[in-house]
Amino acid sequence: MTTRILAVDDSPSMRALLRNALVQQGYVVDQAEDGVAALEWLESNQPHLVITDINMPRMDGFELIEALRQGDRFQDLPILVLTTESSEEKKARARNAGATGWIVKPFDPEKLCAAVRRVTH
Amino acid sequence: MSALSDLNMFSVTGRERRLTVIQGDYAVNSDEGVVITTVLGSCVAVCLYDPVTMLSGMNHFLLAEPLPGHVADPSALERYGAFAMEQLINGMIKQGANRKSMKAHIYGGASMHGNMSDIGRSNARFARNFLDCDQIVVTKEDVGGAFARRVEMRARTGQIRCHHISMTQETSAPVFARKPVVRQNVGDVELF
Repeated sequence: MTTRILAVDDSPSMRALLRNALVQQGYVVDQAEDGVAALEWLESNQPHLVITDINMPRMDGFELIEALRQGDRFQDLPILVLTTESSEEKKARARNAGATGWIVKPFDPEKLCAAVRRVTH
Repeated sequence: MSALSDLNMFSVTGRERRLTVIQGDYAVNSDEGVVITTVLGSCVAVCLYDPVTMLSGMNHFLLAEPLPGHVADPSALERYGAFAMEQLINGMIKQGANRKSMKAHIYGGASMHGNMSDIGRSNARFARNFLDCDQIVVTKEDVGGAFARRVEMRARTGQIRCHHISMTQETSAPVFARKPVVRQNVGDVELF
């Protein structure tokens, strides 16, 4: 079965980098530019994993995770945070909001894909 | 001021505070009297200015992107353009800037040694492509050549001055001499 991943980042360049790393490993990658766009896409799609940035306009990564965990539909959906933020405070906030994991940019494609495999199997 | 502009009209005085951006680092500031500065050879610095928030930012990266399979240590990724651009743009946004109103300048990318000509060119091309992809307008480039550059950016106004420094001039160039910034936790993966 093909694993479908939603990549959420306000930078098209960063989305492209992330997409390239994942597509090379056989993943199907959809993209959203921020939390609002992600929620709109998720209304009619069901990915196996969401990878989200934190700092984004309109709706940031924390708010996106909180919104997804509020309902039943996405309770079990793995959500990885991929961010330049490295503070323990923000990591704890993501964990409390319901994130599955935390990856500090710049990401190592091999480590990223290993984490993706772990949370999607 | 509506955009980044050349700084041919201001002089740096002893009363101004200088923020030096070294390899792998970035700075975002909007304070009156602050000058963000760096020295470049084949490295590239991207300067961003948001006229709405009057925020200025500058990064400094060594290489455009790693060759496939050439990254043994995730911390080495900090030397590359994608991370430098991400840090700078995020730093601006976190302080209230809007990507759509930002204007950019690109400096550096020189050919300091014959065999490094592609590095400088590749760095400048990377910055140009990244900004284009992110729909940030580049209003000026001063790249290439065979000389170092000292870039000074007034934080409050976004005014920029770029000095060309020939190899025969004194180029004590603190940027070349100082160690690159090393952050903790780079590339860390933690599953909760």
